[in-house]
Amino acid sequence: MTNLEKYTNAFVEAFDVDAETAKTLKYQAIEAWDSVGHMGLTAALESAFDIMMEPEDIIDLSSFEKGKEILSTKYGVEF
Amino acid sequence: MEKNVIITGSNRGIGKAILKKFAKEGCNIWACARSPKKEFEDELKEIADKNGVWIEPIYFDLTSSESIKTGFKQIWASKKKIDVLVNNAGIAFIDLFQLTPEQKIRETFEVNVFSVMTLTQLVLKMMTRQHSGAIVNMASIGGIDAYPAHCAYGASKAAVIGFTKALSSEMAQWGIRVNAVAPGATETDMIVSFENKSGGNLLKNCAMKRKAKPEEIANTVYFLSSDEAAFINGQVIRVDGGST
Repeated sequence: MTNLEKYTNAFVEAFDVDAETAKTLKYQAIEAWDSVGHMGLTAALESAFDIMMEPEDIIDLSSFEKGKEILSTKYGVEF
Repeated sequence: MEKNVIITGSNRGIGKAILKKFAKEGCNIWACARSPKKEFEDELKEIADKNGVWIEPIYFDLTSSESIKTGFKQIWASKKKIDVLVNNAGIAFIDLFQLTPEQKIRETFEVNVFSVMTLTQLVLKMMTRQHSGAIVNMASIGGIDAYPAHCAYGASKAAVIGFTKALSSEMAQWGIRVNAVAPGATETDMIVSFENKSGGNLLKNCAMKRKAKPEEIANTVYFLSSDEAAFINGQVIRVDGGST
């Protein structure tokens, strides 16, 4: 499984959406991505990539695309 | 109960009693302390062997969030489940408010409050994934009642109580319970600074007219972390012999 697939899967599992929808998501754009859902998403990402995200990065994770940027620049995940 | 437990300030006083209690009950322990000491590690090995559990020393400085994170990464790397976090470590600065330097207030809050929040935030990363866990914070009756010379210490422990209650309401949805224990005067090294400033009135309001044994505090911490306390959440349990 590629890193992009692992990353997308975290959104799919956290928010119960399909992969195409996941790629368009922004924070609070759907009901499932509220503050509680956000915690579930970060847990899924930390688990998928074996990383510990800083609170500041968790706050900054405002969309699917932004999350990719954070993971690649700060946690060395290559997409 | 066979659980994996993190205990801060586990090298002396109440923390050591908590460590011994959990080990006796068959729990594995990450024993957190400030700096490595052979005597401490020898004792951990002895307790572990005696009770058939593993006890791993973890060292970090509670005044440094970076040090706490570095220490926690050792626990994280083990990939083991974290069932219980006991935020026990703390410091006491006891003096009249007007004789309390601002630096001492900051230091007291750094260790007693901010380090607790930092470590708890890290541990919750694991507990939320597990959808289970119990956190027990060490408060104090000094954080509930009014005592002279307790402005820094009492305010920090009141903050711990506020944190405990707020966090308990947040984390219940993940099956994580958060409670606190508020000891009265307890037979530890720390009590000396309280005695020196109390003018011999330390037990004046204690119905049982004696100090708690560290083991009595440890028993309450253990109970709150156990499945016996499965429906107790957001509570502060006084262990003070009753106040008059």
